[in-house]
Amino acid sequence: MNILTLLQNLDRRWLYALLLLTVTVPFFLKIRLPVTVSPPTQKLYDKIESMPEGSFVLFGVDWGPGTRGENGAQTEVMMRHLMQRKIRFALLAFAPEPSVLCQNIAVKLQKEYNETHPEYGVQEGVTWVNWGYKVDQVNILKALVRDVPATVSADVHNHTIADLPVMKGIHSAKDISLILNVNPTASYQAYIQFVQGPYKIPMGLAPTAVMAPETYTYLDSGQLVGMLNGLQGAIEYEQLLGVIGRATVDSNSLSFAHLLIISLILLGNIAMLLERSQRARAGGAR
Amino acid sequence: MFHEAPGGSGAWWGWVIGSLVVSAVFLALLQLIPQRFRRYVILAITFLGGLYFALEFFLPTHAMPTPQDPKAEGNFLTPYLVPFGNVATVIGAWTVGVGVLNLCQVHGRRLTRGGSNVIYSFAFFVSMIAMLVFGLLKDVNKTFTDIYDLLFMHGLNTLDATMFSIIAFYIVSAAYRAFRVRSAEATLLLITAVIVMLGQVAVGQMLTSAIPKDSMLAFLRIEGIRNWVLTIINAAATRAIGFGLGIGGLAVALRIWLGLERGSYFE
Repeated sequence: MNILTLLQNLDRRWLYALLLLTVTVPFFLKIRLPVTVSPPTQKLYDKIESMPEGSFVLFGVDWGPGTRGENGAQTEVMMRHLMQRKIRFALLAFAPEPSVLCQNIAVKLQKEYNETHPEYGVQEGVTWVNWGYKVDQVNILKALVRDVPATVSADVHNHTIADLPVMKGIHSAKDISLILNVNPTASYQAYIQFVQGPYKIPMGLAPTAVMAPETYTYLDSGQLVGMLNGLQGAIEYEQLLGVIGRATVDSNSLSFAHLLIISLILLGNIAMLLERSQRARAGGAR
Repeated sequence: MFHEAPGGSGAWWGWVIGSLVVSAVFLALLQLIPQRFRRYVILAITFLGGLYFALEFFLPTHAMPTPQDPKAEGNFLTPYLVPFGNVATVIGAWTVGVGVLNLCQVHGRRLTRGGSNVIYSFAFFVSMIAMLVFGLLKDVNKTFTDIYDLLFMHGLNTLDATMFSIIAFYIVSAAYRAFRVRSAEATLLLITAVIVMLGQVAVGQMLTSAIPKDSMLAFLRIEGIRNWVLTIINAAATRAIGFGLGIGGLAVALRIWLGLERGSYFE
């Protein structure tokens, strides 16, 4: 087997080993590469920045452990911003895992801010609440927009939400200032269809990078005010907030994994083209 | 009414047990329906359910104040949206139960018959029972809470993340083998993919970072080209696909609503 054929048919175990190294080694590097903030990220940041203190955000979290690398970082950075801006938010999940995962993130940030920035006054039940996991997204959303306390009734700790200070003045969709949805699937469309559209509530989305291309139409139409495109969106958002969070730490791995894939694709193609030209020359010589 | 009772109180337990009994009786009655009539029951419920939501959406609206929201608007069907939504949620929850029963049947049969894959059925029962038991008992004491956390956060979540992470390895292998410039279309796709991928990450953005952001040539920065590809070319194609999907979805929804669909839905 000549070298050109070999380069087109590398054993997959070498590829796996290369990817493993490319993803893990950068975690130990201290280099922080600056990124350019994309317009969708900037718009979402500006929207939250412009909201008055005490506004209420419906924070849909529909991701699981499988996409935690991207969606976890997106959730964390948006929560940070809401907590810093003293904007109230309610977590709502349509799968069992995100309710627990996002509760943990919120509790972790609450602890961090209460130690470093007690002036933010972050407190569960007062500045944020977890409505928990609900079954049947479409019908819950249709009911929720009409009557929040009747539809949700209790938070994850089984406290009646109508009694919680965070829910003061929140009765229907008209009281919601912004919808945020962290979602690795197309089910964000239910929020657009049943909440954002009919009630003209601004909405921001945080999809995974692989899902992001199909959401640009909603940005163009104005149905989404902004978007965090995968982990890169979270990295950009952290840069805007001026924090080094989990997204920034993961940034190098993301960069090098992308470079590896591009390099391998180019390598395979260059080898293929060279081999073709060799064959053509050999054919011409005969 | 159900959630007005304080959680854990006698009234609350009364509602829970009462709801279960009523549901069980209702399911038993449904089971009594002869096989040949079941299709018509499903058709009727589907049609009435669809009719309610269609009428509620299309009927003209007028002021419909409620104590919670005096400025609310709607028609005479609107106040039933919340209870209907709750009914649909309850039906959804029951279907999860039916799914679990079905899984138990399938894996129970495999366990009794034996064979090479019996270990997977055994793992299913152990996992399901463990999660169920410790999920129900997690608030009883700290030991159960810790065991539940171990199973959920460090077991299920970690396995889920691992399963998904493995895809990255296959993607690298597949991209390397399949992404070859064998035609003009493939070449175009490759160039676009490389631009979008490079524009997506910090290392890629460094390649054109020498071009000042406020210069005339700023549009040549890789992240700018990526943004243009995504917002102009990609959005146009996605919109076209979206229209097709929307019309297709509408046709399927109408077929299901009107009982024209066949197969597992109605037979």
